[in-house]
Amino acid sequence: MNLICLGVNHKTAPVELREKLDIPQRELESTFAALSQAAPEITEKVILSTCNRMEIYARVKDVDQGVESLKAFMAGYHEIDRATLDTVLYTLTLEEAVEHLFMVAASLDSMILGEPQVLGQVKDAYRSARELRATGVILNRLFEQSFTVAKRVRTETGVAENAVSVSYAAVELAKKIFGDLSGKTALLIGAGEMIELAARHLVAQGVETVLVANRTHQRAEELARAFNGEAVKFESLHDELRRCDIVISSTGAPHFVVRRDLAEKVIAERHNRPMFFIDIAVPRDIEPSVNDIDNCFVYDIDDLKTVVEANLAEREREAKRAEEIVRAEVAQFFAWLDHLEVAPTIVALREKMESIRKAELEKTLGRLGSLSDKDREAIEKMTAAMVNKMLHAPVVNLKKHAETDDGFKSLQAVRKLFDLEG
Amino acid sequence: MSALFILATFLLFLGMVKYLLSLALRSRTMFFLATAMMFLGFMAITAGFVQRSMATGHGPYTNLFEYCVFGAWAVCAVFLVAEGYYRIAPLGAFMTPIAFLFMLVALPLSPEADPTLPVKAYWLTLHRTLSILAFASFALIFAAGFMYLIQERQLKRKHIGGWYHRLPPLDVLDDINRKGLIFGFPIITVGAAAAMVWSAQNYGSVKIEPSTMLLIAGWVVYAAASAGRLALGWRGRRAARLGVAGFCMIAAALAAHIR
Repeated sequence: MNLICLGVNHKTAPVELREKLDIPQRELESTFAALSQAAPEITEKVILSTCNRMEIYARVKDVDQGVESLKAFMAGYHEIDRATLDTVLYTLTLEEAVEHLFMVAASLDSMILGEPQVLGQVKDAYRSARELRATGVILNRLFEQSFTVAKRVRTETGVAENAVSVSYAAVELAKKIFGDLSGKTALLIGAGEMIELAARHLVAQGVETVLVANRTHQRAEELARAFNGEAVKFESLHDELRRCDIVISSTGAPHFVVRRDLAEKVIAERHNRPMFFIDIAVPRDIEPSVNDIDNCFVYDIDDLKTVVEANLAEREREAKRAEEIVRAEVAQFFAWLDHLEVAPTIVALREKMESIRKAELEKTLGRLGSLSDKDREAIEKMTAAMVNKMLHAPVVNLKKHAETDDGFKSLQAVRKLFDLEG
Repeated sequence: MSALFILATFLLFLGMVKYLLSLALRSRTMFFLATAMMFLGFMAITAGFVQRSMATGHGPYTNLFEYCVFGAWAVCAVFLVAEGYYRIAPLGAFMTPIAFLFMLVALPLSPEADPTLPVKAYWLTLHRTLSILAFASFALIFAAGFMYLIQERQLKRKHIGGWYHRLPPLDVLDDINRKGLIFGFPIITVGAAAAMVWSAQNYGSVKIEPSTMLLIAGWVVYAAASAGRLALGWRGRRAARLGVAGFCMIAAALAAHIR
């Protein structure tokens, strides 16, 4: 029994090639059928096809043969030149394949480290394969475990924490200042795609009131309607600022829209309740020295980019820790796999019988104190022979049966019956 | 000294180490373990007090040893309540060392009661109980203030480092400061008044030592922080700084007292 993984991803293949290799969901059934016909010796398989990768996980009898027939199948199916395929395709076997799947599911192999979509894609790929009866006991267990790994990595490390886009970084900063955003008021000065996106994130995080100020009042009203908010007059900015916790500004104005003296007045009127200014305009809308006022925080577009970079670096540090979890889980998977091997099961069975025999023998011999050495030897031999004879048929049959496709069932039955687990 | 107190010291030490580790590694598991250690440590001190009070017939506030252990107990109590309410992991890393330090100071002290002090001094008892509880809530304000100053600096300077990712939001820290003051300031005021009454009753006058001056200075800082917050909306960095400064003063006074 062997596991292999063949595939391409965003690191190895350009998009032109990845789209050629893509296998859409609706074609999966016919692909699996074609694959079964082309390589009947591959008993279990899962096809993971996303915009960043196309990978086939398979259980094969022989690694080289399995890799060869999968490559031939891919080249034929996608009508791609074998030589081209060989340059971009990676081939992973056994531990490597298992580790790779765990890394993929935990989003440690993604273009953006820790992005959450890939786990859903792995789950979909597995479910589709399972529904089409392309998987079996090994890949079922492997994929189920990959979900556990992904969950552990998410909860035990910070790989998926911290914003990695500018608009999310703004929301994250707001949360670092205000904690809970529910009940907070945001003011959007100007209207544009960026400002809309940031506002959408803020509303999703609980910001209650959205005010919109724009030079053209009509545009302000449109945007305000989208957020169930209020359009306010550009001229009355001073009065409106007072009730705003978060200000996002993106006007085309050539001068500052919020000057330091205005911000100072507003913050005093607010009894020092903090304010967070997000300035995504170039040239800037908020006078930078507003940041020097106590309880005022000003972030311009470059500052937000710095935050994103710091967050990405933090994710990379956390990924190192996540890899340890992955390694531990890989070891666990192979420990489970061992249970499916016939030899360790037989050894465990023999050891168990032998230990019972020895214990009982000692007890009995202790009670029959007056035996000669010869007698002892005879009893010893008899018990050993009994154990051997009793185990003979089960062991032979187990070996024979383990060769078959559902041999693991007998192995598991034996392990259960004789308490051989762990 | 009761074995329970030694056990408690050990547990607080473990709790402290685990909180520091949970902060460094950002491990939830470590955080839960740390909280469990602190809770057990707190229970051990409580049990130790019950045992001791049954033997001596009075509460834990007659001598320096009892005073220190009581301090550790109060810091643990305030900390556990605050952690249960706010559930922020880094708080432990800043507060548990204070509790542990109290136990460490107490360990070599003689647990024998001071025979010169009247056991049934009502005003003195009131003073000591209230001051220790106030001290514990000031320790909480100190921890929150310290974190606030770090986090605010990171946010203002746009220097996004490990602290930025680990520390809680500014508003939460400011809220701790506010609640700590609401709890701690009235208590220490009544406690200080009780001390003056007791001193006047026993010595005929209010006795002022150098450490008392520090205590008074600390009280003034907290008074300013409370009044400023109420009347002028002092919050954020200013409130955090006052919280840290006030605690440094009363901690120094306490250290002078113990020495």
